[in-house]
Amino acid sequence: MHILVVEDETRLREQLRDRLHDSGYVVDVAADGEEGLYYGEEYPLDLAIIDIGLPKLSGIELIRRLRAHDRHFPILILTARGNWQDKVDGLESGADDYLVKPFRFEELEARLNALLRRASGWSKPVLDCGPISLDTAKQSIRVAGNAVELTAFEYRVLEYLMLHAGEVISKTELTDNLYQQDYDRDSNVLEVFIGRLRRKLDPDNVLRPIETLRGRGYRFRLDASAG
Amino acid sequence: MHSLHGRLLLAASLVLAGFLGATGLALDKAFRVSAETATQDRLQSYIYALLAAANEDVDGRMIPPGELPEPRFSTPDSGLYAVITSTDSQSLWHSGSLTGRDLGATELQAPGERRFSRLARAGMQLYALSFGVAWEDDTGMEALYTFTVAEETTVFQAEIDSFRSTLWRWLGGMAVVLLLAQGVILRWGLRPLRAVTADLQQIEKGHADRLDGDYPRELAGLTSSLNSLIEHSKSVQTRYRNSLDDLAHSLKTPLAILQSSRPDSNDDPAASHALVSEQVERMDEIISHQLQRAAVSGRTTLAKPVAVSRVVERLVRSLDKVYREKQVTVELALDTAATFTGDEADLTEILGNLLENAYKYSGRMIRVSLQSDQHAAGYEISIEDDGPGIAPEQVDTVLQRGTRMDESLPGQGIGLSMANEIIAVYGGQLVFAASPLGGTLIRVSFQP
Repeated sequence: MHILVVEDETRLREQLRDRLHDSGYVVDVAADGEEGLYYGEEYPLDLAIIDIGLPKLSGIELIRRLRAHDRHFPILILTARGNWQDKVDGLESGADDYLVKPFRFEELEARLNALLRRASGWSKPVLDCGPISLDTAKQSIRVAGNAVELTAFEYRVLEYLMLHAGEVISKTELTDNLYQQDYDRDSNVLEVFIGRLRRKLDPDNVLRPIETLRGRGYRFRLDASAG
Repeated sequence: MHSLHGRLLLAASLVLAGFLGATGLALDKAFRVSAETATQDRLQSYIYALLAAANEDVDGRMIPPGELPEPRFSTPDSGLYAVITSTDSQSLWHSGSLTGRDLGATELQAPGERRFSRLARAGMQLYALSFGVAWEDDTGMEALYTFTVAEETTVFQAEIDSFRSTLWRWLGGMAVVLLLAQGVILRWGLRPLRAVTADLQQIEKGHADRLDGDYPRELAGLTSSLNSLIEHSKSVQTRYRNSLDDLAHSLKTPLAILQSSRPDSNDDPAASHALVSEQVERMDEIISHQLQRAAVSGRTTLAKPVAVSRVVERLVRSLDKVYREKQVTVELALDTAATFTGDEADLTEILGNLLENAYKYSGRMIRVSLQSDQHAAGYEISIEDDGPGIAPEQVDTVLQRGTRMDESLPGQGIGLSMANEIIAVYGGQLVFAASPLGGTLIRVSFQP
């Protein structure tokens, strides 16, 4: 998942970048509205976190321009003042949710997950595909009712595939959404992760939830049960 | 011209000067015309006197007058002259006063005709009247004569001059009196404005709190608006000061807790982290509560009225977006005529907090209605949901939340108490009741 963070406060921007990265997101950061607009227009993003009070181009104006340029990814606004006038202005300009500073990182992550899931067309926080159930709020996996422990990175791979269940996801697309740009794309790391994920989800090799389509990519094979 | 006094004085003075000047000119002209007519009449009467004084000889022909009716005719250089001219333009006779002078050729007049003119002859300015006379002798022959009487203008001029000097003295005197009166009237008329200015200076210096004088009707609107502005800014200032005091005071408690916990580093790290985050949350709550309380503008007479229904609609659109997943049905029954006199941000804050609460706790249904009270022009907004509701004994706790900063209430919203406080600032009322939908019914009413 590719997330853009537009925040002018260096400390907070770096904290968000590091913590989101630790949670397995691909993160780009921008320090002002103009830079944010560049990223928003030039990069394929899944979500943007935008502070309202930005230098050069205000957060509201940035959101308005992104929406005017047909960028429909979900946007979460951060506001320091927390008054309703600001929140309504932000939501009316095209944002999808707001968070008042200061916030706990867990709260931010819960909002991000809900927005990402909603954008992929899932209306419930739990993605159920056959016996595999992924709770985006708790970030936990159960296979036939038994909890499975995944690393943050493995979780992101599975979440991405399940959010796009039934679709073919090319290696490039998956890599783009899992790694920072400067990552070495030729490595076999992704294949190793998929292999590990398969073993954790399906130790007996009966479900075969993740298909490999040679030369095209991967597909989460199990259909969504509900939602 | 940046002074009202100056403007009025200048305008009135110009009008006065124009009026008095025109009056003077008209009177002068009228007097001159009537003085000339009088001169002409006098000259005519001299001619008649000369005619009466003329004799006739045995044949009935005219003999110029011997004894003259007016002694000035006989006195040399007296300024009054007479000439009788016959048809051949020969001067037949002239008065003794004209000795050594010449009036020059006088134009002959037909019998009964007269001609009044102003002449300049031999260094003299004269008014002259010529009168044609036909004198029939005993044989029936008619001889034509022209009688001319001339008077130097000095007499006339002296009359005019004396009239003028009297006239202009009077007019000048009147102008001075009128200007003085006008100055006094202006000072008196504008005195209330100066009084307001002086009273405002007293307020600036801190000697007075409001405009208390007995001002004229025309200024009542201005002074009452100024008073309400002064009161408003004072109440805002007080609120800022109180908020800052409260803020400083109430932040010290969590800071003290943090400070005193630090040295004990043998504490369990998880517990100390929990303590920090609890106190941070508490400080955040204190700050947002106090800041929002300070930001409330309060009622002001100069505010643009805000359509309440528009604010509700904006908020519902925004909240629908945020709570999309709950799929709440919102029923709106809004009277579009109701307006809020105050800051739009304050109304947005009140309704935002109340509506968000309804979205948060509702199951599927929210009902919002806005009704104007026909008689008193007040209105009532009710927001109800089908959530779990608030128990009556909890109402006070909910409304007081966040106001007593010494209490620690981690993780609980201050939205309702915030809304309640802003409503109170605007003199409104917030009442809780049970909704027929099963949850809370919050009724907010504003009186005009």
